[in-house]
Amino acid sequence: MIDAFLHAAVLMTTPILLAALGGLINRIGGLVNLGLESMMLTGALVAVQVSAATGSAALATSAAALAGAGVGYAMSLVVTRLAANEIIVGLGFTVTTAGLARYLLKSLYGVSGTYDPPGVTMLPRLDIPALDGVPALGALLSRQDPLTWAAWALVPLTAFALNRTRAGLRLRATGSSEATVRALGLAPLAIRDASTAIAGALSGLAGAHLSIGVVGLFNEGITGGRGFIALAAFYFGRESPTRTALGALLFGLFDAAQIRLQGQGVPAELVQTLPYVIVIVVLTGLGLADRRRRLT
Amino acid sequence: MNAAGAVAAGAPFALALLIGAAVLAATGFSPLDVYRLMLVEGFGGERRIAATLTAATPLLLTGLAAAVSFRAGAFNVGVEGCFFLGGLVAAVAGGRLAAPSWLIIPAALVLAAVIGALWMALPALLRTRLAVDEVVTTLMLNFIAIGIASWLVNGPLLARGSANSATPPILPAAELPRLLPPGALSAGFVLSLVLIALYGLWGPLTVGGFRSRMVGRNARFSRAVGIEPGGVVFSAMIASGALGGLAGGVHALGLVHRFVAGFSPGYGFTGVAIALLARNSALGVALVAILFGALSSAGANIQLFSDVPIEIVQILQGAVMIFAVAQFRGRRA
Repeated sequence: MIDAFLHAAVLMTTPILLAALGGLINRIGGLVNLGLESMMLTGALVAVQVSAATGSAALATSAAALAGAGVGYAMSLVVTRLAANEIIVGLGFTVTTAGLARYLLKSLYGVSGTYDPPGVTMLPRLDIPALDGVPALGALLSRQDPLTWAAWALVPLTAFALNRTRAGLRLRATGSSEATVRALGLAPLAIRDASTAIAGALSGLAGAHLSIGVVGLFNEGITGGRGFIALAAFYFGRESPTRTALGALLFGLFDAAQIRLQGQGVPAELVQTLPYVIVIVVLTGLGLADRRRRLT
Repeated sequence: MNAAGAVAAGAPFALALLIGAAVLAATGFSPLDVYRLMLVEGFGGERRIAATLTAATPLLLTGLAAAVSFRAGAFNVGVEGCFFLGGLVAAVAGGRLAAPSWLIIPAALVLAAVIGALWMALPALLRTRLAVDEVVTTLMLNFIAIGIASWLVNGPLLARGSANSATPPILPAAELPRLLPPGALSAGFVLSLVLIALYGLWGPLTVGGFRSRMVGRNARFSRAVGIEPGGVVFSAMIASGALGGLAGGVHALGLVHRFVAGFSPGYGFTGVAIALLARNSALGVALVAILFGALSSAGANIQLFSDVPIEIVQILQGAVMIFAVAQFRGRRA
């Protein structure tokens, strides 16, 4: 019982963590990405299509990352080259891709809302025989898919890349001082676009995890607002990948808990709002701290 | 909206139509035929125009709600949540207050506006007292409002014997009068136009309207000349919330006649796009909202008469939203 819960919590953390790391990188590069949901949805659909067509989960995953990156890059161009408000463009992308996904399901496959083709190859689950039967640890680590491992490996990697590499330094400079980057002879807008493409690729992977890692089909509501929960996670994490991962884990726990709580009469609709409540609480706390700093 | 404004608003529309055309062509439909059909279905004949205006009614009010706060420089994207809560409150009031129409309708609509205003109080306070970004808080509050409303309508307020998540229908006395019975166009449309006209007069003719524009254009300058931006921004957000709640109330009493899960397909977000395209002008909000109304009314019919999925409308609306905020060369006002 508790083991099943832990396993589900790790499983449900993965998509949020992937997208949140992407959002974090994007935000450090100077763009608050409200279109993560659209890139996630794109990745989820493309993964099912490619998996059913080729039978290869690896190809499907790569295609989902590429498609997500493509959507991210397109969104970034509108923001950086046409000086458009990133919030509205992000929401616009969310609206457009949701419509496009439903449109394509109807016009290409003649189905409404759910696309469940035969022959979808799921992501493999990695067994760790040594941990079988070990309480808690076995449930946490064994039989997870490669994207889950990749997501957690990305946490220290992202921290390292941001703090210790030239690319990370340039990205941080792009977010905090565009003029400096320009003075160095670099193109801040191109760097920002690259960071949005990375956010798109990671969100595409998050979508692939949901569609070919968890359920094995595509549904129009498959992302269920997780792109916005990822936003909550990186707001929670501020500039730190580790804190962002903690936020994602917290929301993954909520996600796994709500399925269980539902059986015991706790309304799922209210549990689902908790991540959003937490964002407001965190922002209020930060606002209060800022004010105290100003006053002293 | 002057001529330059009309051109500026036309560019995003044109780009959206191009994107829609690409999608249509790629899936084997003739874009020209589809767009011609849409034009006919949106505006051809009295009955179709009435359907367009019916579809435009919630958008007129959400567009106005967004414009009121944008004008003062507050980026409220929380109209969607207010719409849900206002609709729920009005549907419950309209279902339970046994009273004559002249009492029940205003009472339900006022309650809807009040809940919307209260819902915006927190982000408005956070923005004006603690400088917390209102975009994120109002966006998050949408999800919370929708969660609370779907919980209430699935549990405590669920209609007896109903499998769907819906409240019981409102009392006949609470239904807004129809303008062209048996057509669905309700007095809510007239109310929306009146409110937009009042907004159009308030902006250039009153002190409040002037202050709101000053603060929206340049908050620091406003402070220097003695207009405290905090108060103006706070009132604008509260007014925006009240209008968003009222929009939901009008939708519940005028068209749906109850509250159901999925009450709004995103009217609040479309309102954001409308206000942006209209650059917060009253006439602009009215025109763009009617255009969007035509789009969604025509979309529903198009799916009936051809095989084009209705989602083409959502694609077009989203694309308009994306380009509505883009700065095209020479467009800077």
